[in-house]
Amino acid sequence: MKPGALNYVRPNSVQEAIASLEEGGMDAKIIAGGQSLVPMLNLRMVSAERLIDIGGIPGFREFSADDREVRLGACITHERIQIGEVTDPSNGLMPKVASAIAYQAVRNRGTIGGSMALADPSADWLTTTAALGATVEWEGPDGKNSCLSEEFVVAAYTTQLGMSDLLTGIRIPRLHPDAKWGTYKLCRKVGEFAHAMAIAIRSPSATRAFLGATEGAPVRLKHTEDVLSTLKEWHAAHASVLSQSMDSDIAESGREFDDVHIWQLRTCLLRSAQMSFGVKPVEPEGL
Amino acid sequence: MQTIELTVNGEPLKASVDPRTTLADFLREQADARSIHLGCEHGVCGGCTIVVNGKIARSCIALAVAMDGADIRTLEGLSDDPSIVQLRDSFHTCHGLQCGYCTPGMLITARDIINRYGEADEAFLREALAGNICRCTGYAGIVKAVQHAAAELTKTRSNLK
Repeated sequence: MKPGALNYVRPNSVQEAIASLEEGGMDAKIIAGGQSLVPMLNLRMVSAERLIDIGGIPGFREFSADDREVRLGACITHERIQIGEVTDPSNGLMPKVASAIAYQAVRNRGTIGGSMALADPSADWLTTTAALGATVEWEGPDGKNSCLSEEFVVAAYTTQLGMSDLLTGIRIPRLHPDAKWGTYKLCRKVGEFAHAMAIAIRSPSATRAFLGATEGAPVRLKHTEDVLSTLKEWHAAHASVLSQSMDSDIAESGREFDDVHIWQLRTCLLRSAQMSFGVKPVEPEGL
Repeated sequence: MQTIELTVNGEPLKASVDPRTTLADFLREQADARSIHLGCEHGVCGGCTIVVNGKIARSCIALAVAMDGADIRTLEGLSDDPSIVQLRDSFHTCHGLQCGYCTPGMLITARDIINRYGEADEAFLREALAGNICRCTGYAGIVKAVQHAAAELTKTRSNLK
């Protein structure tokens, strides 16, 4: 349960990091907070002849904000989002999500960029930034590039990033001040990776609904968004309508989930939707 | 081997480390910080929790080589910390430990919870402590101890005012 032999470098610029990645090829890995990577190194599920620590690159721990959006450097920790140290573009959604990632000791070191780049399907930020319409930025040997967060993940642990690309930051558009959101994730134990999660955002400008922890990229629920956007308040009868729309969204996505997983995703979606209407979801007894 | 300079429990330390060495192993072996207990070695059990630059962290999933310039506190360096002094007493009073293996991590995590949130209800505390695993006590005593310590510290603070 100790990492294998490795070399450690700490570049001072994006260019240096990319050059080091190119030179190291398959055996080079980027490390940010290391809260997923070091466990995998310890378990020897991953080996790296060269670890490239990007924590010291100028600007990577900084954020900027204007009227339209907030840009987070890749190495902003979950904790800094949780406690509101960085400007929140999301009416409280991002601090809420950050506060439920793993445990405090992990949130203090883990970074949003590291979480996005690893693209563990259960990771909270993939779903959250997709729902918020965020843009992921990276840089590589071919220069700068970016894409919408909802197009960033190709499959589990697979993103648009090439071998020598480095995720540099995430731009999150400011949510409409009147937008309401709900989020829920199902874990067997607090702090564990989610079995299912959902986010619903009802904004005067757009309604967004996403499922996460889907064993692949987050799933956008377009029919569900249409249904949600017509609702004025929450009634128990809406649950079955939203369930049906979720089923057709999943059918159209071409993704397949087993019955239990569907049940878990539906539970998360309904609770998120209720929460967006200010209704506290009823916790089943015994959970 | 790479050289790092850091502060451990207030003492400057310059050391040569193999880059693969975790912070936990480094601190146990080169700074004699035996309060750091290794359980799972993948960031789940909380036994190795310490304070890095004022914030709690898992020392088993940090690399020592990345700690150049860091200010580190382990339980050894917190023996006079007012929250730890109270927590030690409360863990004793409320039967918050049995074998003691998880205790250093529990104390450091509990100190962080109290410093962040002050007094909190049981449900909140159980969630906040979820990252620290105890296989003896069933947690009841630990939760009581943290509540007891938070209440005592609030009393002390209001008496000082």
